[in-house]
Amino acid sequence: MIEAKDTGVLAGFPPRVRRVREPVVALWVFAILALLPLMSSGYVIYILPQYMLFGVLAMSLALLWGFCGMLSFGQAGFFALGAYIMGLCLQHAGTLGVNAAYLALLASAMAGAVIAGAVGYFLFSAGVRDSYFVIVTLALSIIAEQLAVGQSQVTGGWNGMFIPRMQLSFWDWRLPLDSDASIYYLIVVFVAVTYSFLRWITRAKFGKVLAGIRENEDRILSLGFKVHLYKTATFAISAGLACAAGALYGTHAAFVAPSLAGVLFSTEVVVWVAIAGRNSLLGALLGGIVVSSISNALSAITPQYWQLVLGVLFVVVVAFFRGGIAGAVHRFSARRRG
Amino acid sequence: MAELLRAEHLTKRFKGLTANDDVGFSILAGEVRCVIGPNGAGKTTFISMISGHLQPSSGHIWFRGEDITRMSVVERARRGIARKFQTPSVFNHLTVYENVELAVLGTSRPRHRRDARVREVLELVRLSEQSDKPTAMLSHGQRQWLEVGLLIGNDAELMLLDEPTAGMTAEETHSTGELVRSLARDLRLSAIIIEHDINFIRNLEAPITVLHLGRVLAQGDYDEIASDELVRDSYLGH
Repeated sequence: MIEAKDTGVLAGFPPRVRRVREPVVALWVFAILALLPLMSSGYVIYILPQYMLFGVLAMSLALLWGFCGMLSFGQAGFFALGAYIMGLCLQHAGTLGVNAAYLALLASAMAGAVIAGAVGYFLFSAGVRDSYFVIVTLALSIIAEQLAVGQSQVTGGWNGMFIPRMQLSFWDWRLPLDSDASIYYLIVVFVAVTYSFLRWITRAKFGKVLAGIRENEDRILSLGFKVHLYKTATFAISAGLACAAGALYGTHAAFVAPSLAGVLFSTEVVVWVAIAGRNSLLGALLGGIVVSSISNALSAITPQYWQLVLGVLFVVVVAFFRGGIAGAVHRFSARRRG
Repeated sequence: MAELLRAEHLTKRFKGLTANDDVGFSILAGEVRCVIGPNGAGKTTFISMISGHLQPSSGHIWFRGEDITRMSVVERARRGIARKFQTPSVFNHLTVYENVELAVLGTSRPRHRRDARVREVLELVRLSEQSDKPTAMLSHGQRQWLEVGLLIGNDAELMLLDEPTAGMTAEETHSTGELVRSLARDLRLSAIIIEHDINFIRNLEAPITVLHLGRVLAQGDYDEIASDELVRDSYLGH
């Protein structure tokens, strides 16, 4: 009897290791996150949603890199695009008769998916893969940053853009999210829904084919799969999620600047995912939360050297723990089970 | 038996080098045919043109009466032409089951029938007991069989087998011959086999095409080929 044919999340691990129930651990994580505002307040409840959104950004990269084998240095560009769209909608779309934040979330997800879908279809149909794709995503990040700087009449240029806090509404009912706790819960729900969605697609036929593309693209082509369409769809989903997360980040942080779209931030996201484990959605989520919070703490302690510390950690993980921390945990638990 | 595939005047040039020159070939449904010849004879180029990995410089290929000459690898795979590569090309970090499952996912088989099909294919290629093992743990011969299993699971009608017994023990080679024969006999699965192992070819008792310098040198059964002076001079020896 084959158990837990978890092609995506735990691909590469022996079947007995795949019996580790990631959803159970995820349930605990979301329960703790949901209960945290009851036990804590102040700065933790203010800042944690931003780290959770970084976690979604990390999951969007894990889908692309860990599950489909396509490394991207362009995720930050999509994240920032979402934040700018949220800012523009909240500033200018209030008179349209619909909740501008809902419009922004929808528009940002669509914009990310359409841009990545168009770029991806063009690239993957032409057979672009591996390092060439990485270079293109690097260029996307640079273009996004340059547009944010250059289109200053829209984006505010180097000064950035201030973004009002969104509110929830349904017909005549309105709920402002001015308090940290209220937007915290919205973001917890968003993160949980995103995780569930990604887990579903990575375990479905779609995710199994992605694992096949990651493992042996030529073989999967020879089995009759239209690889360019799968890759395009994965890039579009990943960018759409990064954009939507960026939109929520914008309204939570109340500010977006061009540096959010830059290569440096994109590289940080790659480092989070590499350290946490790119083959695990939960690993990527926790990596985004934990490593970004450690980075922020380190930057306060040692503003000059924090990136060096993160870089050394990255090198150590890549050298000794190819599957990141999630991979090491799975191997350790496999060894304990004999 | 109906004709499954026909190739006419197939030529492939790489700049100054002509790898295949005016090759004609046909195979019936449920038939096994072998292609032999010395290194550089153009055997792999020939099946690469059949599988769609290379486009011919001139000539035509028909599959079940349809002109597939300009079709992509994917389009040909969807029509039932599946290729086993010289070096086993499987999904190394997935289990044996997951490998075949991916091949079955590439067919239009409904979800509730997939598991049974995967197990049926694993039984055919004698890998049922290894189903939950990572592919990397299989022996070389088992990996070759697994790749054949991928073609069967993908509902291939024509298998292109490039050196299917390379690196196999004598027993595994014998079993591979039995497998190919039984697939042709019981499932009417056709196969074009490129192979250097002459004993394997002889035991298959299948028609043989000899390629030399990109051209068809001779065609016939083993005895005819073995007694052909040109073939003996260029490949088999005296």
